[in-house]
Amino acid sequence: MKNIRLDLIYAHSNDVVAREIDGALIIVPLTSGVGDMEDDLFSMNETGTKIWKMLDGKKTVTAVVAVLSGEYQAESGEIERDVIGIVEELLKRRMIVEATVT
Amino acid sequence: MSKQPLREYQHPDVMTNDLFLSGEALIELMRAVHSKGLPFRFNAGGHSMAPFIRDGDVISVSPISSRLPDPGDVVAFLHPETKLLCIHRVLSGNKDAFLLQGDNMLGKPDGVIPRKAIMGLVTRVERRGRRVRLGLGPERRLIALFNHWGLLAVIRQHAAPLYAYFRGRQRP
Repeated sequence: MKNIRLDLIYAHSNDVVAREIDGALIIVPLTSGVGDMEDDLFSMNETGTKIWKMLDGKKTVTAVVAVLSGEYQAESGEIERDVIGIVEELLKRRMIVEATVT
Repeated sequence: MSKQPLREYQHPDVMTNDLFLSGEALIELMRAVHSKGLPFRFNAGGHSMAPFIRDGDVISVSPISSRLPDPGDVVAFLHPETKLLCIHRVLSGNKDAFLLQGDNMLGKPDGVIPRKAIMGLVTRVERRGRRVRLGLGPERRLIALFNHWGLLAVIRQHAAPLYAYFRGRQRP
């Protein structure tokens, strides 16, 4: 698994569409040129949704961790570990990509 | 200025599949996928299009881009009264509106459905992992015609025993 660097910026992949419906984030992968609800459909809980929204091609991983740390009470390092974990998972599922900053 | 107390932390989680989606959610997601010019593939429920589309079949709905639906085409539309996503066949129409009816809804047309309520064209049907072509090919115009005349049910009534007979003969 690729190491996630905290100074990197990630953005949503063009290979998914995501919509927040009734408070829940639903992500549909665009597999082989089809929006496929049948094989793979993803949803995230509240924290996951917040992280997803912040992976907007502008914020670094460190910035995402900082925003969550200012909002939630958690043990030291817990939020950073979780954010790295979810970024790894989203990268593995090709839902986000490393953003190029110009 | 008082500082807001920190909220209890919940680990982020990505959940897969087995999500129950309302009709509205399905429509929203279909629009999102169609906005990228791509077909939307999902599990169809109900019996109104039997035998050509059955409960549990997986259907692909493509966005309407190059041409308007013709008689015989199967379309996905938002029913103006029930606000539900429906999959039915075009019996007739013009550039503004269409007369639609399910193949298994003898004498119960949906009424005149405006063009803007049509969400897409059914371009693929899969049943138990295999593609089903019957009902979407050139014969679709004949099906629409028979349905319009109220003959589809009669044909099905006579064709079903023959189909069962020949199917039985093919089995080893």
